[in-house]
Amino acid sequence: MDFDLNEDTILLKNSAERYLKEKCPSSFVKEIIKEDMGFSKTIWKEIAELGWLGLTYDEKYGGTGSPFFDLFILFEEIGKVLLPSPFFCSAILSGLIINEAGDSNLKDEYLPLIIQGEKIFTIGLLNEQGRYDFDDPDLEAKETQDGGYIMNGTRILVPYAHIADAILVCAKINGSRGGAPTIFKIGSKANGQKKVLLDTLTEEKSYAVIFEDVRLSSDSVIGALGEGATYLNKILPKAIIIKCGEMLGGLQRVVDMTVAYMKERHQFGHPLGSLQVVQHYCADMATYLESTRLITYQAAFLLSEGIPCDKEIAMAKAWCSDSYKKCTWIGHQLHGGIGFTEEHDLHLYYKHAKESELAFGSSWFHRSKVAHVMGI
Amino acid sequence: MNFTFTKEQNEFRQEVRDFLKAEMEAGTFTADIAGLVGGPSHEFSRKMAAKGWIGLTWPKQYGGQERTYVDKMILIEELERVKAPIGYHFGADRQVGPALIEFGSDWQKEFFLPRIVKAEDGISFCLLFSEPNAGSDMAAVATKAVKDGDYYIINGQKVWTSGGHIADYGWMLAKTNFGSSVNRYQACSEFIIDMKSPGITIRPLINMAGEHSFNEVFFDDVKIHKKYLVGQENAGFQQIMAQMDFERGGIERLMQNYPLYEKLKSYVKAMNREGKDIELYYWARDQVAQLEIEYHVGRLLCYYTAWVVDRGKQPSSQAAMAKAYCTQYEQRLNDVATKILGPVSQIKEGVKWSAFDGDLATCYLWAPSYTLQGGSVEVLKNIVALRGLGLPRR
Repeated sequence: MDFDLNEDTILLKNSAERYLKEKCPSSFVKEIIKEDMGFSKTIWKEIAELGWLGLTYDEKYGGTGSPFFDLFILFEEIGKVLLPSPFFCSAILSGLIINEAGDSNLKDEYLPLIIQGEKIFTIGLLNEQGRYDFDDPDLEAKETQDGGYIMNGTRILVPYAHIADAILVCAKINGSRGGAPTIFKIGSKANGQKKVLLDTLTEEKSYAVIFEDVRLSSDSVIGALGEGATYLNKILPKAIIIKCGEMLGGLQRVVDMTVAYMKERHQFGHPLGSLQVVQHYCADMATYLESTRLITYQAAFLLSEGIPCDKEIAMAKAWCSDSYKKCTWIGHQLHGGIGFTEEHDLHLYYKHAKESELAFGSSWFHRSKVAHVMGI
Repeated sequence: MNFTFTKEQNEFRQEVRDFLKAEMEAGTFTADIAGLVGGPSHEFSRKMAAKGWIGLTWPKQYGGQERTYVDKMILIEELERVKAPIGYHFGADRQVGPALIEFGSDWQKEFFLPRIVKAEDGISFCLLFSEPNAGSDMAAVATKAVKDGDYYIINGQKVWTSGGHIADYGWMLAKTNFGSSVNRYQACSEFIIDMKSPGITIRPLINMAGEHSFNEVFFDDVKIHKKYLVGQENAGFQQIMAQMDFERGGIERLMQNYPLYEKLKSYVKAMNREGKDIELYYWARDQVAQLEIEYHVGRLLCYYTAWVVDRGKQPSSQAAMAKAYCTQYEQRLNDVATKILGPVSQIKEGVKWSAFDGDLATCYLWAPSYTLQGGSVEVLKNIVALRGLGLPRR
């Protein structure tokens, strides 16, 4: 047992913290999220140059081959400022899928571009009911005589679809090549795609993408036919823990800003933080923070070391989701009216806590996984 | 960063498990589920002593093993898993020893520590802190220790003294500074007192579970030699605050009812196999998964606290946080289990209808004490807020 970070990880954490603090103040985040692009091209370029997008990828693709744990730590820092960017959908979700499923040609072609930030990928995992349906997708890819496919169906809550060079989806094949779920890559130039901007809680750019007779060639298939769910199940643990890192960072900020405000805000002639009822709320928040840190660090460490940890991952996501959200509730209660204004930063975390709670299964789903591993 | 145990630690855990398995197979004890730790068995404590498992973290000079608090946490976790009967030495091992090592005189260390480590006769301890008017406000103790030459004369009353009726010694906080302008946090001192001393009267208190676990203790001109004063005169409150971290940071707060949790998990597994009460089963499955997560969170908080101690830091905030969290988990465990088992949960041991041989009823009856003993959840949250987060005092 050693709860200290390694020196290399501390270096990365500190430099990321410095960079994000300087470049992504909340005023900036609030501004760019409302712009048409929804993220900053300048920052995108800079974080690519810093090597963040390629942190865990093989050096032959331009990555740095760092341990997965470092990527998790990086997202803890990103979560503190809630940097809006396609990092997660492109370099994490899509990149990991291509790395997992792609043949060497595909990897050689796309991974360096993703890592350099030259190409942006996104992924559509949710059907119109908002369910992860990759085991039995609503999307249909109908075989054509020339060996290609015609894609029909809808994906919703697809991040940054408006600027993505390609969207990955998991679709069912209709035809002789089998019906099992398969990963497809749909280039932004392919005809028959309609993108509808969704106005969501966080306002980070998110779209419904409707595919109407989109013609795809046979090389749009990523990996083996019928293996879509297998690939996704392989990469999802990493995606979930990265998300937990982001949530932990957000949770840290909520606790920090609330405790600081309780020291400074005076009512009844005293700092609010001198009242026991307030102190107990703060102690609860501190307990959620400390426990969330321990349980997510544990899962990230085990995953990074290649030690089997299905249960620890599910425990982390379940605990993280509940703790983060509860702390945003307490944060709002203690901040009072000021926290309910757009000017204040607290709402960014309130929104993010709900968005991330619902991503990749909320706490009941992960409790069900825990029960499964327990043999219950 | 490492969330795994070393090879030596895994071997140590296995050694403890093997020992306990052999003891249970030989029938030397059965799990005493309700108490903080399994009840007192001098015989069992002697076996532990022979293994070198008492005073595990203490200096070798006094018979200890100089091992880490993480190692000690492994040991206690395994003992608690089966509720081994470690009550004879537990208080001395957890609290008295570490306090003596930090504040005790050479004589006290040389006299008490080796005897505790060997689980000798007449070396069990109880704690004499709380009084009728000094509960959460420990600095309000009124029991007096008045200096008289080489002696102190003790008068007053203590309460909630667990095991006071069987302990050989008491670890006492008493008032020694009586001036009207004296700072109340600089008015008390710590003493070791022989519980057989003339003038001590012990009266049993029956708890709401119907058991005689704690007592009232009265002192009427009890005379103790000054060599039994621990540390500095009038610094008792500060010394005790440091020692309380040892009382609070332990995994026994998470595992007081551990065998009940094991039984509950097996019960819900069987519900699945039998396929009856499907709606209840799905609810129970979700609840038990939540308990499992909470249990693991508590375990991490405890090991983290041990690691902080091993790094030479005072774990006040971490220990307070761990205890507040863990005891609330145990109360939820009891409540959830009764709801899953239903009305039979009420039936105490002795008939075939008793749930988990009556353990469930017993544990539910003990549960209100968990969040009080060793500092109430509210007092602990104050510590987290003031010392951990640096919030201002009123």
